[in-house]
Amino acid sequence: MESKSGANEQVVEQANIAHSILKTPSTFSQYKALLAKDIRQEFRTREMLTSMGIYALLVLIIFGVAFSQMPSSYEIMPISGGLIWALIVFTSLLGLNRSFSHEKEEGSLQGILLVPLDRAVIFLSKATSNLLFLAIVELITIPLFYFFFLSSEIVADTLWLAVIPIIVGTVGIAGIGTLLATITMSTRGKDVLLAVLFIPLSYPLLFACVSATSAAIVGDSMMMSNYISSVALAAGYDVVMILVSWLLYDYVVSA
Amino acid sequence: MNENVKVGGILDQLANVALVLGLLLTTASFILTFTIVPVPQSNLNVVPADQPPAEIGGLYVTNALMFSQKIFYFHMPVAVISLGILFFTALFGIMFLIKRDHRWDLNAKVATEVSLVFILMTMATGEFWTAYEWNAWWVWEPRLTTYLILTLLVIGYFILRNAVDDPERRAVFASVFGILAFIDAVVSLLITRIIPSSRHPVITREGGLEPLMVMALVVCIFGMIFLAYGIYRTRIREQRLRIRLDTIKERLED
Repeated sequence: MESKSGANEQVVEQANIAHSILKTPSTFSQYKALLAKDIRQEFRTREMLTSMGIYALLVLIIFGVAFSQMPSSYEIMPISGGLIWALIVFTSLLGLNRSFSHEKEEGSLQGILLVPLDRAVIFLSKATSNLLFLAIVELITIPLFYFFFLSSEIVADTLWLAVIPIIVGTVGIAGIGTLLATITMSTRGKDVLLAVLFIPLSYPLLFACVSATSAAIVGDSMMMSNYISSVALAAGYDVVMILVSWLLYDYVVSA
Repeated sequence: MNENVKVGGILDQLANVALVLGLLLTTASFILTFTIVPVPQSNLNVVPADQPPAEIGGLYVTNALMFSQKIFYFHMPVAVISLGILFFTALFGIMFLIKRDHRWDLNAKVATEVSLVFILMTMATGEFWTAYEWNAWWVWEPRLTTYLILTLLVIGYFILRNAVDDPERRAVFASVFGILAFIDAVVSLLITRIIPSSRHPVITREGGLEPLMVMALVVCIFGMIFLAYGIYRTRIREQRLRIRLDTIKERLED
């Protein structure tokens, strides 16, 4: 009897040791590892940041050319919200296309899919890295936009409020864009297809964000009355779309 | 792969009935609209022909609004139904993702095709109305833009389908995009309604409808539903026969 129970204890102990060695990493550490991989790769190659940054600068130059024949006293303030969002959308399209191209080319996505992890973690880490790179590019280009187009204007005191819709919009773009980039990376004509799917899908978000950003820049009291509801709707879009993308990501990435 | 695709049966027979019924009802509603349904009275009394446009419910309207209003009996049912069919695209997409049966993918594809037909009809009727009423073929008015986005989403759905070769992958991607597109359509409808600056007429704001108007509208809605179902079912039948034909051809080659 005694020897048997002793043997049992030994087995339990061994199992405990085995468990502590082969402990499955927590979801959060998986997420951190995947995110760190993206960031490390970006800081070694600087592929996405440089291409997005230069592209954004070129879009700004095109805006400048487009306004070159305008009379000197034209009002740029009401349209500057829209221009900022045009800049963000075009730049993010470029970045989103890039975000999965090397995963596909180097076959690293195959490796990630072999690891027994929740597919939603891949979505979250990829969306976070896209958000991070997009935010870095915005931090440079939106002040540049101000410098080029708004520095001679008298901007409203509420200008800082434009930060909120820009953050909310960027989160939404990164979320829905990550799902769509995963879809389009394994199709023919992926660059064009991403734009074809992404722009109509992000329309409600753009509409709300342009409304809020313009209101903050102009500071007109009538426009400001829409500000709260616009930001709330943009945030609602973010919540709904990111939740749905999260749910559906498993199917898309495994297909 | 699909040797026993079912063709025929009660549903396909019903499709023919639905097509005929749909045609009859839409024609009936068309005739009703131009015969016994009254021209909006309230507005006529407010604005005599020689007076400048009056403001009604925040809208500037003239007498011209009255007769062009007839297009509404066609435009509104088609618009509602096109969005309704997109709901089925999303539903079939969810069914496909759960069951992994290509039958649901075919259903979703055909539903989206029918939806595209209705969306194009909505766009066309809407354009005629704006051209006449607002003197512009296109206005960047939220509801019009929403509908344009809806059109682009549905066209994008087919572009996506064509860009994927593997049938399994194509079905998954199309299902996911179908679900997203439906949610997006609903969200953009809501957002453009809540954030103001809308010039598009809304029934309740215009002071409601008279009983005869409601009747013509309901007849047209039912006609369009039957028509939509008839087209949908006939197209499904055609697609299934095609699949059957392909399998027979393959077997003959072997």
